[in-house]
Amino acid sequence: MIIGFDVICLCLILLCAILALYIKDLMGAVIVFGAYSFLMCIVWACNAAIDVAFTEAAVGAGVGTVFLVSTVYSTTRVDSFKKNRFITQLLMFFVVCIVGSLLLLTVTDLPEWGDGNAPANAHLSSYYLENSIDDTHVPNVVTSVLADYRGFDTMLETCVVFIAFIAIFAILRVRKSRTNNDETSKIFELLVPSYQKVDSVIIKTASHLMIPFMQLFALYVVAHGHYSPGGGFQGGVILGASLILLAISYDFKKSLNYLSEKKVILLVALGVLIYAGIGVICLFLGGNFLDYSVLSKILPATDSIMARSHAMLGVEIGVALTVMVSMYGIYLCLSSNGRFDKGL
Amino acid sequence: MDYILNHFNYIIVVIIMMLGLWGMLSLSNLVKKLISMAIFQTGIILFYISMGAKKGSSIPIIKQAYDDHHHPIHQTINHIDYANPLTQILMLTAIVVGVATLGLGLALTQRVYSEHKSLNEDEILESLS
Repeated sequence: MIIGFDVICLCLILLCAILALYIKDLMGAVIVFGAYSFLMCIVWACNAAIDVAFTEAAVGAGVGTVFLVSTVYSTTRVDSFKKNRFITQLLMFFVVCIVGSLLLLTVTDLPEWGDGNAPANAHLSSYYLENSIDDTHVPNVVTSVLADYRGFDTMLETCVVFIAFIAIFAILRVRKSRTNNDETSKIFELLVPSYQKVDSVIIKTASHLMIPFMQLFALYVVAHGHYSPGGGFQGGVILGASLILLAISYDFKKSLNYLSEKKVILLVALGVLIYAGIGVICLFLGGNFLDYSVLSKILPATDSIMARSHAMLGVEIGVALTVMVSMYGIYLCLSSNGRFDKGL
Repeated sequence: MDYILNHFNYIIVVIIMMLGLWGMLSLSNLVKKLISMAIFQTGIILFYISMGAKKGSSIPIIKQAYDDHHHPIHQTINHIDYANPLTQILMLTAIVVGVATLGLGLALTQRVYSEHKSLNEDEILESLS
């Protein structure tokens, strides 16, 4: 940990946060917020949280910015303001100052930055570090805690992603009435003959070459999460990002050919089902819910320790499926306003 | 000075959280409000991650030696050598869920825009009344 470098990054982060709130143009604010996320990612890598940095780079800075950009694109980028809210802002500034100074008073009670014997590092986390190899044969402790020791937590977080996806679908998705749509598109063609997306050969070719490697890398991240930074969440988001790239560089028709709307809804449920199903199988074999060690009874040539390692891979695949498809589906909804015809 | 550097992360956490809170309370644009919400959230994540950091520690992937048959050799592990994995996994899932809920907020914003043709809170209130 390089304290000096951290301090510089944190100062830049503050600057980015203030800029993101200050800039009047919404697109500019969103891009500055993307830069903010990338700087955060550096700070987490400095704090030895390499998995979190990976997730932030893929999710927060990558896909999150795409969501924000597509919303600004399909609404408006002008931050129109008629009323002067100066008095409200000043009042809120005083309220926030009072809350902030109360919080700053508690800072004196907290342990120093980087104190290895702080209460947060004492009891449970040291057990995970010291026993992960003996219990599960998984060197990456973050993966073993994520998928095994705290499996309930991760399962319900996956459910939250699933529910958010379903909610966005319910809010935005509209089925267009066919006659109406045909007429408007015909009028458009008559009025503006060249009404279509501007195609760029360079973007198409470059993304065409990149997408297979992105997907291969994502599969590696999912499968190698036991030994290196990565896992279901990160790999799933990279897979989703490759599909989003396809939808951006070509059009929705091409990406929906690969993964249609029906398959999207099926796969997002399948991911949660895989995760919960592994837990239920454990129940049927006589263990507790998500107690993977009993799976050695049905998995060939594995003892109870390796069974936990293998079941973790299955669980990660379930997580990756749900996350991949929900990120892709959320992008499709947000960028086309729920119509699924054309996006960014 | 030393005291400030040793508690610098907490001070930044408080400032970031208060920036996000101020933005949510006083900015009138809905997208700006959602950005403020995300900034508030990163403040909390920074609090957890910097609590789990240990000076001079490595990332929480255990250096494992194997014998000739690829079985791990038993070794005693000192938890001071590795960063705290528990705070990291809590925040890892929080980031993914945070983006999913941000998407939900953006979807609601788009519906509001298609109803009222504005993202400004005051204008939406006017068209509601």
